[in-house]
Amino acid sequence: MDAYQQYIRNFSIIAHIDHGKSTLADRLLEQTGVVSHREMKEQYLDNMELERERGITIKLQTTRLVYKAKDGHEYIFNLIDTPGHVDFTYEVSRSLAACEGAVLVVDATQGVEAQTLANVYLALDENLEILPVINKIDLPSASPDEVKEEIEDVIGIEAQDAPLISAKEGLNIEDVLEAIVKKIPAPNGDPDGKFKALIFDSYYDNYKGVVIYARVFDGKVKKGDVIRLMNTKKKYEVTEVGVYAPGPVAAKELSAGTVGYICASIKQVADARVGDTITMDQDPTEEALPGYKKVQPMVYCGIYPAEGEKYENVRDALEKLQVNDAAFLFEPETSTALGFGFRCGFLGLLHMEIIVERLEREFNLGIITTSPSVIYKVIMTNGNVEMIQNPSNLPNSIEIDHIEEPIVKADIMIPKDYVGAIMEICQERRGKMIHMEYITETRVVLHYEMPLNEVIYDFFDALKSKTRGYGSLDYEFIRYEKSNVVKMDILLNKDLVDAFSMIVHESKAYSRGRFVCEKLKEIIPMHQFEVPIQASVGQKVIARETVRALRKDVLAKCYGGDISRKRKLLEKQKEGKKRMRQFGTVEVPQEAFTAVLKYDDNK
Amino acid sequence: MHVEKQKLGLYIHIPFCLKKCNYCDFLSFSGCDFKEQTRYIKAVEEELKAYNLKESDYQVDTIFIGGGTPSLLSEDLTEMLLKCVYHYLFIDENAEISIECNPKTLTDNKLNLYHRLGINRLSIGCQSLDDSILKFMGRVHNRNDFFETFQKARSYGFNNINVDLIFGVPGQTSQKFHQDVEEILALQPEHLSFYSLQIEEGTPFYEKYKRGEFNQVPDEEDRRMYHETIEQLDKNGYIHYEISNAAKRGYKCRHNLKYWSMADYLGVGLGAHSYIQGVRFNNTKNMQDYLSGNYVEASHKNTRKDSLADYLFTGLRKIEGIDLSEFEKKFGQPIESLYGEMIHTFQEKGLLELSKTHLRFTKNGLDLSNTVLRELI
Repeated sequence: MDAYQQYIRNFSIIAHIDHGKSTLADRLLEQTGVVSHREMKEQYLDNMELERERGITIKLQTTRLVYKAKDGHEYIFNLIDTPGHVDFTYEVSRSLAACEGAVLVVDATQGVEAQTLANVYLALDENLEILPVINKIDLPSASPDEVKEEIEDVIGIEAQDAPLISAKEGLNIEDVLEAIVKKIPAPNGDPDGKFKALIFDSYYDNYKGVVIYARVFDGKVKKGDVIRLMNTKKKYEVTEVGVYAPGPVAAKELSAGTVGYICASIKQVADARVGDTITMDQDPTEEALPGYKKVQPMVYCGIYPAEGEKYENVRDALEKLQVNDAAFLFEPETSTALGFGFRCGFLGLLHMEIIVERLEREFNLGIITTSPSVIYKVIMTNGNVEMIQNPSNLPNSIEIDHIEEPIVKADIMIPKDYVGAIMEICQERRGKMIHMEYITETRVVLHYEMPLNEVIYDFFDALKSKTRGYGSLDYEFIRYEKSNVVKMDILLNKDLVDAFSMIVHESKAYSRGRFVCEKLKEIIPMHQFEVPIQASVGQKVIARETVRALRKDVLAKCYGGDISRKRKLLEKQKEGKKRMRQFGTVEVPQEAFTAVLKYDDNK
Repeated sequence: MHVEKQKLGLYIHIPFCLKKCNYCDFLSFSGCDFKEQTRYIKAVEEELKAYNLKESDYQVDTIFIGGGTPSLLSEDLTEMLLKCVYHYLFIDENAEISIECNPKTLTDNKLNLYHRLGINRLSIGCQSLDDSILKFMGRVHNRNDFFETFQKARSYGFNNINVDLIFGVPGQTSQKFHQDVEEILALQPEHLSFYSLQIEEGTPFYEKYKRGEFNQVPDEEDRRMYHETIEQLDKNGYIHYEISNAAKRGYKCRHNLKYWSMADYLGVGLGAHSYIQGVRFNNTKNMQDYLSGNYVEASHKNTRKDSLADYLFTGLRKIEGIDLSEFEKKFGQPIESLYGEMIHTFQEKGLLELSKTHLRFTKNGLDLSNTVLRELI
């Protein structure tokens, strides 16, 4: 180990959502003087508006802190913040691969949760030293001793010395800093060896192009070097290297054991993929770092401009988002009902929700999203295999030999009182229980195998609703499995509206069809004529509702010459009508698309 | 030099009631004493004085005293009010002068006085002849009060009487309402208004409805009442001339027709609305402001677009519809060059009909008029 390396600590903070990861990161920044209390925005590292609002970290950020320890030495801490949601498991795993240790934050009132475990397992996979920290001890319902025991029982790591802190109140943060120095190992690696670095994040900057966050394992890199990305096999000349402290500060070089950024005029985030290995074009290392995989979207949906919104505006916004998000894909598609739009691919439901919200909020766009779909493997009678993620593209049933759907392993952690209710909703969603594990006396993990199609539909909402928010979920893709899925269409006044079509399991078609018809009946306003709403599979109608014909829509009285009031009333109604989409003869409010996807506790 | 005077309608708002009805969302107060009423009438006098149109080019040819319950005013106040109307405005000798009356408040003395003051049209708020429905609506009178009032009004020589009815009241059936209309028509009133009950926000009915204490009459039943009434009126020689109004030949309400033809009218009193030479303005609804002389709250000069919208919105309320040549004269363009496509769509849907001379609602169109008006404005 080189001398400089013994004063470096590379670590992440891992936690279940809401357990206070970002708040702790803020405190560490504050206590090491990186950010003064005055300029401290809440959750400094979550720099997207949406992240701060939802209290979750979507894109990670890395920061260098300098800490003067009680042993009198100055240490450089590279804090690698990680996203906290199930959709971003791969990004988390790559961030962890850049570290020697992980600070595990556990909420003293909630204890260990599904994502706590999932993240711990990821960290253990990377052989990280795990440093448990118990947060929120200032809350009256905190029970740190029980949580310590839970950590030892469930995770199997020593937790008696875990710092007891309140990140919110800034209580005992020093303990965490000292523990990092003492417990997390310093990096090693040969500064004179062949250059080898791991990309664990990247983002697009208008001036510099793609900025890569990298962990250098061996050798060093400086401005002017020509680097090579081993998986994409592309070459670039380095234009700048530096560290985040937390703003970018250029440095002469980055050497083995350090974490920093590299700019090399790269045009798209997709060209510098997370997990790829950087080496020198001349004198490259023989072996790439393990664990690289190209992230593939798991969930697809259509995004269309809403009434009055321009197609070009939506396209421009999607392009801007893609520059910064290698996992997000889109391509143009056409719907007979919604016109020109885009088929978009996401890592998971949260990823989809975030993109949709950013389109609406940051770009101020009016959009319509169609039912999310997973990717089905369609094995044709002629032996060909087609991957289908848009229900409209499902081939004719005579040409299909069979269809396979993606299955995920779902770990559901819940208080034991909810076991019955959750088993029921899993059952309803075609889940197969693998086993049930009592991790403490009161907490249970249910291990299920479930079709992803059921998970993305409304499972998470149902889980939250049935467990009063206490349930947590983690899932990962395991395999494709043969399945009896069918395409269900919705007809409004006998016209098929392709934007409502979905692929469902045969056993679910009837209930889903009825649910969608009932929802649409609530939402579609009365027309001059009766509007039949039908759900059909093939030629067979499986559910039907009718919107009654409008019989009366009249202002009986227009009194005392007060014309403006009645006119305003009509103008307001007219505004409401602008948000309608015309499908054949039927006008449908735009919220219908989201309403048919929402979990309804009463159904 | 003789200048032809311009016609003007005058609306006077009397915002007092014995008791507010359960469905009413008009601007009115119950429980005001004589002193408060006197202050109010004096303020109206001040407002009329401020306009002082006596020497102007305006000649008032219709007056409508509405409310609230104008017949609640004492004889003294009524006389004071009318006298000052005559004082500050030039009133045409053939002016139609209406007053709204509640059966419970109309005494012999008042009828006598009205006659003397030149009031020549009474609008009696009967609403229903079913005592249980009257009670449900929170009316202060019963069916006998109405019959007595009507006969009394006739005996004082009033030969232009309107009767107001409300239909589609929860608990009411079309047979029941049919019977009410028969009984009313037997009295041979010159004019009949028949309004479909609207449950307006902020009324006791609205609260009850929200709490689920009653169901609304199904739309089908409501429309049955409406169309049956139109048939009854037709059989009895009445002309259905506006969505909710019918009259014997020669007895259309000239004042209300002004609203539906974009003629000029001046509204005085609390919250009253005016439309004069293309400007809409309205008075404050705040009594204190009004009493201290801050009458007008807002005014708006109609753009061409506003005027078009107003003209269609009000004109189509008339059963004969919009006179095409009049439209063209007013806006310099035939209606079809402006709204041709929309008119065509609604013709196809069977809601509008276009003859050589008029654009008007079909029978079905009358039921769904908002559907059309929303698009035209």
